[in-house]
Amino acid sequence: MTAPSSGARRTLADLGIPSEPGNERRAMEEVARAVSGLGLPERTLERLKTAVAEATMNAMEHGNHYRAELPVLIEVSISEADLSVKITDEGSRPPAFPSETPDLEAKLEGMQTPRGWGLFLIKNMVDDMNVTGDEHHCTVELILHLDGRAEGDN
Amino acid sequence: MVTQHLVASVRREPAGAVLDLRGEINGFSQEALDAAYAEAEAKDPEALILNFEEVDYINSTGIALIVGLLAKARASKRKLLAYGLSDHYVEIFNITRLSDYMGVYPDEQSALSGASVS
Repeated sequence: MTAPSSGARRTLADLGIPSEPGNERRAMEEVARAVSGLGLPERTLERLKTAVAEATMNAMEHGNHYRAELPVLIEVSISEADLSVKITDEGSRPPAFPSETPDLEAKLEGMQTPRGWGLFLIKNMVDDMNVTGDEHHCTVELILHLDGRAEGDN
Repeated sequence: MVTQHLVASVRREPAGAVLDLRGEINGFSQEALDAAYAEAEAKDPEALILNFEEVDYINSTGIALIVGLLAKARASKRKLLAYGLSDHYVEIFNITRLSDYMGVYPDEQSALSGASVS
């Protein structure tokens, strides 16, 4: 599978994942399947899967409040320059990511909750992350720049 | 995809108690992890060693649970070590700095050797 040329964007998958606990794994595996023909290096693929799982889990929990009838919508698309995964829930912006940067020492001392790693993981796993939304929807877009990410690169 | 709930069992080694973990470490795992930790701690070992060889998925909630175990181990002045993580999760332990606070080893032999070092 090759990326489209001249700035065109091609959709690789449109998914709807029921908002049920544990379904973030289904989301990440379906996204992995959608990009399987791109020849992404294993490390890049694993990082993308983690980012997708975390963003989907946040969307299911905080956006859709684990109401199974409200799907998290995932659009995977590619251009010559990048791979994009848009994850949309029915929450309103801003998203419910904690603003506090996780500090492990503070967590071990009980000064921060042990949780709050989701956004931190996402930001460390992909090249860019954009958040958009309105009163009814919130979309987190995960972006991997494809320049130089040939098979075998890291 | 069916969620593989965590199964945790405990065995004793001279260097410490090994918690053999199998499945996913996520929001469903707290009970199993806490029970295994309590069982492992019952005989007052100096070190607790987490075996991740059969763990194929850890999410941010699972990271929080591991932080909780680390806090308990630190409070009781026990070493907490880990082995058998995939390269991806070793990277996550690095960026979260978990690996600054708990020894991360490639296999059981090296982890047991690490547990024996005072």
